[in-house]
Amino acid sequence: MLGVGDFYYELGVQIIEVCLALKHRNGGLITLEELHQQVLKGRGKFAQDVSQDDLIRAIKKLKALGTGFSIIPVGGTYLIQSVPAELNMDHTVVLQLAEKSGYVTVSDIKATLKWETERARQVLEHLLKEGLAWLDLQAPGEAHYWLPALFTDLYSQEITADEAREALP
Amino acid sequence: MAMSFEWPWQYRFPPFFTLQPNMDTRQKQLAAWCSLVLSFCRLHKQSSMTVMEAQESPLFNNVKLQRKLPVESIQIVLEELRKKGNLEWLDKNKSSFLIMWRRPEEWGKLIYQWVSRSGQNNSVFTLYELTCGEDTEDEGNNAIFPTPTLMSSESSLQSLFDFQSFSSKFLSCMECRWFLFCFVFLPEHYLAVAYGGSGD
Repeated sequence: MLGVGDFYYELGVQIIEVCLALKHRNGGLITLEELHQQVLKGRGKFAQDVSQDDLIRAIKKLKALGTGFSIIPVGGTYLIQSVPAELNMDHTVVLQLAEKSGYVTVSDIKATLKWETERARQVLEHLLKEGLAWLDLQAPGEAHYWLPALFTDLYSQEITADEAREALP
Repeated sequence: MAMSFEWPWQYRFPPFFTLQPNMDTRQKQLAAWCSLVLSFCRLHKQSSMTVMEAQESPLFNNVKLQRKLPVESIQIVLEELRKKGNLEWLDKNKSSFLIMWRRPEEWGKLIYQWVSRSGQNNSVFTLYELTCGEDTEDEGNNAIFPTPTLMSSESSLQSLFDFQSFSSKFLSCMECRWFLFCFVFLPEHYLAVAYGGSGD
């Protein structure tokens, strides 16, 4: 099942470390871009180069091992979920909607997906509950739900010493 | 006052200024706020503040982002800091507070370590030696103990009260009993220590 030598195995371990270290920031959801940047940083100058395809392959293997990873396609790229939060189709589709600007509102959902208010609210409540979204009550108009995983300012922020400690077994 | 302060990523994240309904997320948020308040005050060498100042300060009011932490939430952050031992209220109405980016016990330990290292246990030190003495320069960008502020006479009663509260925690760090000794004979320095760290 693992096959293909040590490369993907080691990469899998690195991916897990990055996700563990950043979990408290983003709730266990990370874009493929950010994961890629953090993995490259961790590998240093002399390590073999790693592509996003390599990451996807490694994650698929992790999935096969039943580690709770999943890959969510959004707007041309992927969100990698490392914490087994219960995300169904409704949640995934809202994540895809949020990918454009990093946040989503009930009105956005109703306008784009044509859902009832209650269905939209339930999904957003779930994202809050899973720690994947934060509530913003000072946005113009209505409440905005922001996803740290999609917050571009957070990209490539150095992993702090405390966070690195989280990654150790 | 506009020093190059490194704001954490949360400061540019709009929801950071809304008290989070999810308890786990709220815990992370409050921890980040506490940390931010302490580093902000440390960098600006600010050891006391009023709640009104706090509301308008860039610390809780990110003008560029058009977000500010509401006063009820500020109170919650301040209460967290108080519970952790980094904050003391200066009045019953909770309108102004003392911020201790190092808790008195931590100062006590640091001073004790510095004294032990320089092999001068059981000596009497003046405050000047502790803050500006040559030996203290190796201790990093802060002097071993921040430069004291001279208190005005009208606030001396209040500062006496505060110093007692400060010192009782300070002295609970046993190694520092010696420290109080020098203050018996230097009352003007006695009052200054309570507010160590604000301005020059």
